[in-house]
Amino acid sequence: MKEITCRLLVIGAGPGGYVCAVRAGQLGIDTVIVEAGRPGGACLNVGCIPSKALIHAADEYTRAVHLSAGKSRLGITAAKPSLELAKTMAWKDGIVGRLTNGVVALLKKAQVKYVQGRARFLDGKTVEVDTEMGRQVIRAEVIVIATGSTPVELADLPFGGRVISSTEALALKEVPKKLVVVGAGYIGLELGTAFAKLGASVTIVEALSRILPLYDAELVRPVEKRLDTLGVRIITGARVKGLAKADAVAITSTDGKSSTLAADKILVTVGRKPMTDGFGLDAIDLDMDGRAIRVDDKCRTSMRGIYAIGDVTGEPMLAHRASAQGVMVAELVAGEKRAFDRVAIPGVCFTDPEIVSVGLSPEAAKAAGIDVKTGIFPLSANGRAMTLEREDGFVRVVARADNHLVVGIQAVGANLSEMSAAFALALEMGARLEDIAATVHAHPTQSEGFMEAAQRALGAAIHI
Amino acid sequence: MASYDLIVIGTGPGGYVCAIRAAQLGLKTAVVEKRATHGGTCLNVGCIPSKALLHASELYEEASHSFARMGIGIGIGKPKLDLAAMLKFKDEGVDGNVKGVDFLLKKNKVDSHRGTGRITAPGHVEVTAEDGIVTTLDTKAIVIATGSDVARLRGIDIDEKRIVSSTGALALDKVPGKLLVVGAGVIGLELGSVWRRLGSQVTVVEFFDRIVPGIDLDVAKNFQRILAKQGMVFKLASKVTAIDTSGKILKASVEPAAGGTAETIEADVALIAIGRVPYTDGLGLDAVGVKLDDKRRIVTDAHFATNAPGIYAIGDVIAGPMLAHKAEDEGVAVAEIIAGKAGHVNYDVIPNVVYTYPELASVGRTEEDLKAAGTAYNVGKFPFTANGRAKVNMTTDGFVKVLADAKTDRVLGVHILGPDAGNMIAEAAVAMEFGASSEDIARTCHAHPTLTEAVKEAALAVEKRAIHM
Repeated sequence: MKEITCRLLVIGAGPGGYVCAVRAGQLGIDTVIVEAGRPGGACLNVGCIPSKALIHAADEYTRAVHLSAGKSRLGITAAKPSLELAKTMAWKDGIVGRLTNGVVALLKKAQVKYVQGRARFLDGKTVEVDTEMGRQVIRAEVIVIATGSTPVELADLPFGGRVISSTEALALKEVPKKLVVVGAGYIGLELGTAFAKLGASVTIVEALSRILPLYDAELVRPVEKRLDTLGVRIITGARVKGLAKADAVAITSTDGKSSTLAADKILVTVGRKPMTDGFGLDAIDLDMDGRAIRVDDKCRTSMRGIYAIGDVTGEPMLAHRASAQGVMVAELVAGEKRAFDRVAIPGVCFTDPEIVSVGLSPEAAKAAGIDVKTGIFPLSANGRAMTLEREDGFVRVVARADNHLVVGIQAVGANLSEMSAAFALALEMGARLEDIAATVHAHPTQSEGFMEAAQRALGAAIHI
Repeated sequence: MASYDLIVIGTGPGGYVCAIRAAQLGLKTAVVEKRATHGGTCLNVGCIPSKALLHASELYEEASHSFARMGIGIGIGKPKLDLAAMLKFKDEGVDGNVKGVDFLLKKNKVDSHRGTGRITAPGHVEVTAEDGIVTTLDTKAIVIATGSDVARLRGIDIDEKRIVSSTGALALDKVPGKLLVVGAGVIGLELGSVWRRLGSQVTVVEFFDRIVPGIDLDVAKNFQRILAKQGMVFKLASKVTAIDTSGKILKASVEPAAGGTAETIEADVALIAIGRVPYTDGLGLDAVGVKLDDKRRIVTDAHFATNAPGIYAIGDVIAGPMLAHKAEDEGVAVAEIIAGKAGHVNYDVIPNVVYTYPELASVGRTEEDLKAAGTAYNVGKFPFTANGRAKVNMTTDGFVKVLADAKTDRVLGVHILGPDAGNMIAEAAVAMEFGASSEDIARTCHAHPTLTEAVKEAALAVEKRAIHM
């Protein structure tokens, strides 16, 4: 096949890669993108989007169950709902299909050439792709590696059979009766919660002493409470030894006691690792940072003309970070002056209630030697939260004690993921507590909690 | 005789917030409230009870319609409604909120006087309790926060049974078969939505040739289209001239706003929601010479002072949008001014939310405002159909629209028609308080997958560089 030459080649069409390519296309850069799987990457196909679809369906099902149990205080009763998970999955697949087709359409509109197949580096300017039609060589001035990440496997509990990763969990045709989730990070908790709501009996096993170890205990408490209400069993400080029988997992607790947990499915969610295999990375020998490709603040690797963005560059492995890096690299290639110096990359955990964190937590700020003031506003004092029947959770604002510069904002509560943008923008604009406190927030909304938290840090909260 | 630094008349969101802030600043403060409970219109018969019913009716509608596609079957037929239980849920929500205000006032050591307040002279307030006992209070400053009342239509009596105001519409004892809503503003559309979801056939009559006057016209048109698709019927540029209550069914005479042949619309219940008027009855404003404007609003200067010494006014009773959060901010500002600090409200950035489905939230200028002012501007729009979270939530109606100055890129207005718009508008309000450019919003990392990504994309679209469109 005829060689393709182009200005920019992007390897991987996830939220980092395709956004980079679209932006480059907008800027008039001659761009090619290569994808081995389906366009959209892990995020659209087996990550963010399908998991949120499942979570949404599980929430709706729980509501229906709640109504049918005659527990609703709203005066609504309904017949007992039934669930057909295969249909739920088909609905989810429909959405995923629309979004991935959308990505193809966006690339086309931006005049980006899409090549389907697995790419392999030949040298720092050349890549070969195994396409359906044969071997395709692509030469590019600039190459962006956006290959993403894959689930981490446990040596004692390899994937296969009953042992599944998030990918298989999002394609189950039936709700497992007994689900054991290994790893209480955000993926395990999001999926564990969804399956518990759909009727599975869920046990979550975590090696550390508490769930969601990335977040502080105060933030996690409302989630623990809700998990308890949903009947999810949590075992912390326990290590998984392997399969006991075909249908059970053996675990050891911190005090050395062994036990087994019966399981129809075992979902292993102990993290994700940068995807650095299978595309000939050894041919170009880039500097690494542990498992990740080392990059500077412009996402440049150790080789001139090669950039890396997104999960392959390590934590935080978030779609929106990858997209932001992708846009930056496209603009750098177009000759603009850019650097990745985000004050705020919001992290959202779509558990029930949802957790949002932007910037520094009180502990992280203290550890960084910053003297801080914090203001917490509980949603139980928020009118809108009451009318939504969800008073659990709070908004917390962390600011420097000396000049009130906001250095972090965290929140936990139903639907608070949508507050993450306001938090991130406040940090990016260098807001002081007074700025948030003096911005009029619409009544009655949950966002009033943000304003009140800032006011409380100033000793002037009204509703508490 | 009790003597105070500050007496606040009215304990709606403007009044009680003002009193609490004043007490925090060390002023000896009292409130006077005519109602049996604190919280004013907002907590008792406004924002809070309507949101409780909007939430409950939304769940009811959702249970009726949207489960099937997600593989959730729900027995035979539709879910059942126990309206009395739903209204009880609403009342409990109100109760929780007003008790909260009682608690906050007590906690801040604000004295509460129950009865109708009248200003006899600057520095003197007379409170007449329901049993006729009169107490006289002395004070250095007075803040009038008496709010507003339902605007009435000439010749139509509101009996709160068949012809209702928002108050009655929050407490109907059965779902009306046919509901006539007079006025396509916030209140009419929210309560119209509640009853439509619960089973009413709803017709909305509006005097202007558009719904939600004051909202960006392009947004309003799309909003109307979505509401119509849900089954709400609109008769624009029309007025209700009379309602015949003699029969079992109400017969409303509706004619074109410009005049012409009348037609009759039948209804079981008619909701009059043509707006609200400032409430100053019995306050004794004539006696102390407090000036009112032509719309009977109290005239104040930029520091909320009336022309009478030591008398201030805030909230619905003065000029500006009748919104709880505007009143609250004025309450805080006036408390700070009275305490000798520099209180201030930025009227350019007051968000406005309609809690229908989809929600409509806006802050700042509309396209019409900018055209009238001769400001050159750029528009960035992004539809929720292209947002992943909206897709999985099956809530793809609507869009985000960002208006930015053509020369400086400063954000001049943000309008969101879509799910959860009320919470999302906070980002836009903070951005505008900082004088953000559309590029500032566009370059802020927005979490994926959230609806807020649509705000970022709309900001990107201002410079024609949206990614997902």
